[in-house]
Amino acid sequence: MSSAVLEKENAVALKKPKEIKLDIGTKTALIISVLLLLLMVVFPLLNILTRASEGTGLEVFSNVLKSAITRKIILNTIVLGVVVATLGTIIGFFLAYAQVKLNFRGKKLLHIIALVPLITPPFAFATAVISLFGRSGIITRDILGLTPTLYGLPGLTIVLSCSFFPVAYMSILGMMRNLDPALDEASASMGASKLRTFFKVTFPMLIPGFASSFLLLFVEASADLANPLVIGGDFTVLSSRAYIAINGEYDVPAGSAYSLILLVPGLIVFLVQRYWGQRKSVVSVTGKPTGTPTFIENKVAKFFLLFIPVFIASFIVLIYATVIFGSFAKFLGVDNSVTLDNYRYIFSGVGYDAIIKTSMMALIATPIAGLLGMVLAWLIVRKVRRGREFIDFLGMLGLAVPGTVLGIGFAITFNDVIKIGDTTVLPQLAGGGAIFGGAVAIVMVYTIRSSPAGQRSGIAALQQINPAIDEASASLGASGFRTFRKITLPLIRPALLTGLMFAFAHSMTTLSPIIFITTPETPIMTQKILAEVDSGRFGNAFAFCTLLIFIVLTVMALINLSVRGKSTNTANTPIVRA
Amino acid sequence: MDQIMKDSSSSSNLQLRNLSKVFGQGNGKVTAVDSINLDINPGEFITFLGPSGCGKTTTLRMIAGFETPTAGSIMLDGQDMSALTPDKRPMGMVFQSYALFPHMSVYENVAYGPKTKKMPSAQVKTEVEAVLDSMSLTALANRSPNQLSGGQQQRVALARAMVMRPRVLLFDEPLSNLDAKLRAQMRIEIREVQQRLGITSIFVTHDQDEAMSISDRIVVMRNSKIEQVGLPAEIYLRPASVFVADFIGISNFLEVASVEASSAGLAKVAVLGKEIDVPAHEDALTTKSILLVRPESIRVKRVQGSNQTIAGTQGRVKQVVFYGEHVEYRIETELGIIIAVASDPIFEEIVKVGEFAEFSFDPMRSWLLPADTH
Repeated sequence: MSSAVLEKENAVALKKPKEIKLDIGTKTALIISVLLLLLMVVFPLLNILTRASEGTGLEVFSNVLKSAITRKIILNTIVLGVVVATLGTIIGFFLAYAQVKLNFRGKKLLHIIALVPLITPPFAFATAVISLFGRSGIITRDILGLTPTLYGLPGLTIVLSCSFFPVAYMSILGMMRNLDPALDEASASMGASKLRTFFKVTFPMLIPGFASSFLLLFVEASADLANPLVIGGDFTVLSSRAYIAINGEYDVPAGSAYSLILLVPGLIVFLVQRYWGQRKSVVSVTGKPTGTPTFIENKVAKFFLLFIPVFIASFIVLIYATVIFGSFAKFLGVDNSVTLDNYRYIFSGVGYDAIIKTSMMALIATPIAGLLGMVLAWLIVRKVRRGREFIDFLGMLGLAVPGTVLGIGFAITFNDVIKIGDTTVLPQLAGGGAIFGGAVAIVMVYTIRSSPAGQRSGIAALQQINPAIDEASASLGASGFRTFRKITLPLIRPALLTGLMFAFAHSMTTLSPIIFITTPETPIMTQKILAEVDSGRFGNAFAFCTLLIFIVLTVMALINLSVRGKSTNTANTPIVRA
Repeated sequence: MDQIMKDSSSSSNLQLRNLSKVFGQGNGKVTAVDSINLDINPGEFITFLGPSGCGKTTTLRMIAGFETPTAGSIMLDGQDMSALTPDKRPMGMVFQSYALFPHMSVYENVAYGPKTKKMPSAQVKTEVEAVLDSMSLTALANRSPNQLSGGQQQRVALARAMVMRPRVLLFDEPLSNLDAKLRAQMRIEIREVQQRLGITSIFVTHDQDEAMSISDRIVVMRNSKIEQVGLPAEIYLRPASVFVADFIGISNFLEVASVEASSAGLAKVAVLGKEIDVPAHEDALTTKSILLVRPESIRVKRVQGSNQTIAGTQGRVKQVVFYGEHVEYRIETELGIIIAVASDPIFEEIVKVGEFAEFSFDPMRSWLLPADTH
């Protein structure tokens, strides 16, 4: 079939309308969600743009060309992004390859360990790595007798690669699992060796997956704030520079300007990704595996292929052991005697307040984020025809924008009442003196950072459900919104709950957007951890991290239990696209 | 005939007027349905038949309201449906994939529509139970759809549509996921229910046997247009075009010479060295035409002796396929390959490959129609 014909068919498929007109319920849902997105993402971004074009902000932009210091900061950010993205993608690939192509004991365990960094609070890696491998680290100084300098690029590389590789792992794993084993079989039947099959068939098909993980990691690493603050040393990057500008120099325009520069790669990557995603769907891998996947049995090959995954997994386990043990030690590496002092400190002081309030705010934001994400997914996949690309873009923007940028945007937007003319539209939501002690803004940040995960998993789930199911409901007289409540939502509930789990974990462990809007009345755990690390009280930081991980795992387990409780079988034939 | 003419005062009629659907814009424009006109009588069972991409499903989906027509109208009992969303149209649809709600039991699936209509719960129960009973589904009421066989799922899908008492029932290739035996059985069940209730029905399929056996009338579609509308027997024995003849059943097309009008409805043609009077399509006399002879109309007899040539009504058997109740021959003739079917064969008379055969047909069993000009 010629490509012109293919394009024509795709055009037809894309244009396939689902419903003629939107009913009132659907329209309301559409308007409310778009308004929420405008308020929570677009408005803050516009404000950053405005503030950055004031005095010191413009200076920052002109310094991009003039000042060696500014250029160095930008270069640092790019170098960090590239190094971490490369390393993270390689690690992710080896782990994914081991999962799909190797047969060994503890495969499931390796999978879980590989996902653990996703729910790990920032600083946990950094502080543990400093304790183990720093100048006076347990392993480096006490065992090996070395005194390396971790602060700066080396430390950041280790910590960020370990924190972010799961993103690459998951996307490459998904792609490899989708590869039709028949392709391997076809290659083998034409006489190609496993190695040749890998380089000529498997690898080329994975290149889009590599590229997209690389880009994602680049954005995550270049925008990270927590780790550069703790382990960055003199290696200043844009996010830490923006943080200093706002929290140290009280120079909002300059801070806005730095964060705006940070926004550029994020947005570019986001757009490239979307372009890529669309192209990928044209090549579309068949859903039904036509053969059985074959495993690599060669002992030598297996050993080498397993080396990196096992090494990384051991490293993560070691880090976790350090964090947990460190939380019970007087001063890890100096005085290892077991004590509960660290926990006592947390529960006696502001720490307790922070735990309760952070969890509360995350628990409030999680269902809102989940619902927003699902409603958006439903509107995008099923309801809106014109402009659905735009809604998808708006919805994902909350995650595509670096946390630092969003945090600064929120701070400058919601630290004042919002007026149209002389009428107050919104009271002050963020900062000291705001309603609910600024908790509203924090819940909003949690929501807008987490809903994209729900949106993505919702879209994926909806695309698995045959549109005929919706049509059947309509032909039985149900309005669009009734169909959503009675049919769509129950069917995508597993996706919704997975989305919720990650939303909660993400809210609990996030720092960069929150640090700009937290107030004395709304202490945040991650910010408290930063304070402890800053003053060198690693034990308290470890205890905080341990508690945070415990809370996250508990809530995830509860959510998981509620899925199992009411099993919804969506895997059966009737709903799978014919 | 009296089947379709039966009194259906409670049933609805449906009119399609200049109905068109164009997908895409500019260069990517594809016309899926091109100005279709059709009158469907109350209580009638109509089948849209055609190859994939002919526009039959798009037409059905426009009637259901899932696609917006680019032009034209859909009138149900004189009321224009265009402004109504699918949920407001008094039509029920049975989907190819059944589209049963997987998170609901059989009972809940069937009760979904009545509950949506805010029917009192006692009435919901009575109605649902009555429909389940009539479809022999009572025992399965509490099962989940994925615990059902294909045929059972099909019946639930039908029950779910029926309980709404729709004025029109729409079927989108509902039997294509079933095996051959079950398909034949469901065909009868659907037809039986439809006739009992007298619901005007439209059935989309690409399976000619299905269309022949279930329909009052068949609408054959091709390239977004209606090619022919007629009774199953008309479609088969009096096709309006080579396409229809070819699409339904197996056809032998014999080239004819010197066509001229004979008595009413007949034409005199010269074929295979003979002059015969054959029934003819009204256009067959004015354009280039061709003679359709179905394989089962052709008689085959072994030729013995020395006169073994390929000429006139004699040819050489190239292939013999034995099916049990009939034998299918492919015979090489001066007009090319002719397919003949001999039913209820006598063992000794089955012609073997390589042997010569004399073939013949009753002129009244052939049909002269315009040659394909497409």
